[in-house]
Amino acid sequence: MKPTIEDLKDVRFFDNYTDEQLNIFIGISTIKEFKVKEILFEQYDELKEIYILVSGCLSLGISISNEKRIRLGTLEDGQLFSWSAVFSPYISTAWVMATCPTKVLAIDARKLTEKFERNCEFGFKTMSKIAQTISHRLSDTRYQLMNQLTL
Amino acid sequence: MQENRNIYKPIKARLTNVIDESPTIKTFVLVPEEKFSFKTGQFVELSVDGIGEAPFTPSSSPLVTEKLEVTVMKTGYVTEFMHMLNPGVFMGIRGPYGRGYPVETFFGKEVLILGGGCGLAPIRSLLYTLESIKDKLVKVILCYGSKTPVDCIYKPLFDRLNRTEKFEAYRTVDKADEDWDGSVGVATSLLNKIKINISNSLAVVCGPPIMMKFGTIRLIEMGYRDDQIYLSMEKNMSCGFGKCGHCMMGEFFVCRDGPVFTYNEIKHNPEIWK
Repeated sequence: MKPTIEDLKDVRFFDNYTDEQLNIFIGISTIKEFKVKEILFEQYDELKEIYILVSGCLSLGISISNEKRIRLGTLEDGQLFSWSAVFSPYISTAWVMATCPTKVLAIDARKLTEKFERNCEFGFKTMSKIAQTISHRLSDTRYQLMNQLTL
Repeated sequence: MQENRNIYKPIKARLTNVIDESPTIKTFVLVPEEKFSFKTGQFVELSVDGIGEAPFTPSSSPLVTEKLEVTVMKTGYVTEFMHMLNPGVFMGIRGPYGRGYPVETFFGKEVLILGGGCGLAPIRSLLYTLESIKDKLVKVILCYGSKTPVDCIYKPLFDRLNRTEKFEAYRTVDKADEDWDGSVGVATSLLNKIKINISNSLAVVCGPPIMMKFGTIRLIEMGYRDDQIYLSMEKNMSCGFGKCGHCMMGEFFVCRDGPVFTYNEIKHNPEIWK
């Protein structure tokens, strides 16, 4: 299912994009739906799409064996994930699973990077948002680690 | 503090109930033998005869004057002894001391409260106060994180707040167990899910130093000014009135000038997050 401009304007990640820039996303995205306990991707999967949570609930974590999953975080509406799809070697650092009926915006990562090469302003804006997402996730992970290491 | 009272002498209070909040945290319900009142955010020195005293911020409503609730985490000699007490014994209360939350400045605002661990104790007192004046507020959002589901204190509070007009409450845990189906992550991760008008908002942060540091950094990234962020600093308070110097933080005595500060007032102090 293709998203509309109104769909994207409702999603926090797309704040401050122009309509022209939103149309770039629409041309290379689809809306995907996932059921409860459906796995979007596993840790170490090769990723071809970058995702933004539109509505629902997603858990993120790592696996220490096929059966043992450790939940490390919860993704909120408007948050980007699967950012490894735009950075070589394009391998996921975590698994992501739906914990309630969920809708995500799936963006073709290869086509997105092609757009970056042709439109530097769009590329810079989008990569800045991706960098901020990674920065926050790293900061939260360090804080989580400090909480476990200290009283 | 009560007028004409000897500031060194505690008043007696009967311990009437002890509530287990988590494996290491209990709430003590005390009935003072003399009239006692406090402002939300102020602290008291709670003592046990022959053992010692320690500072705590009351977790009860300042509007309820016939009893006082103090939530105590077991962390050292005095608190370990307190955790062994049963209802019926007497404890001592000195205070209240310090500067509490300037609640009048919250009128007409959206109030964002970020709490962690036992920091929910002073926040609960603030929430009771804000509930009593909710007609003067735009909305109140609580974002709270604990290490595990078992460590979350005042569990019924969240459902109650979510049923209260103008209030929203979210909680998360650092480490989930198998039964937990809520959010996982640190308290600051909850800031991704809230909708707030930052230009008409004030933020309150209370919890362990690590959480307060990361929380303040995240709030500033979101667009809060330094003077919009209120921090409750817990810094080795002892005498309670600026004499012993244990709680000095640069130019301030936390016991007298705090424990509530704006980030603007203390951001240049190198010991702020210690």
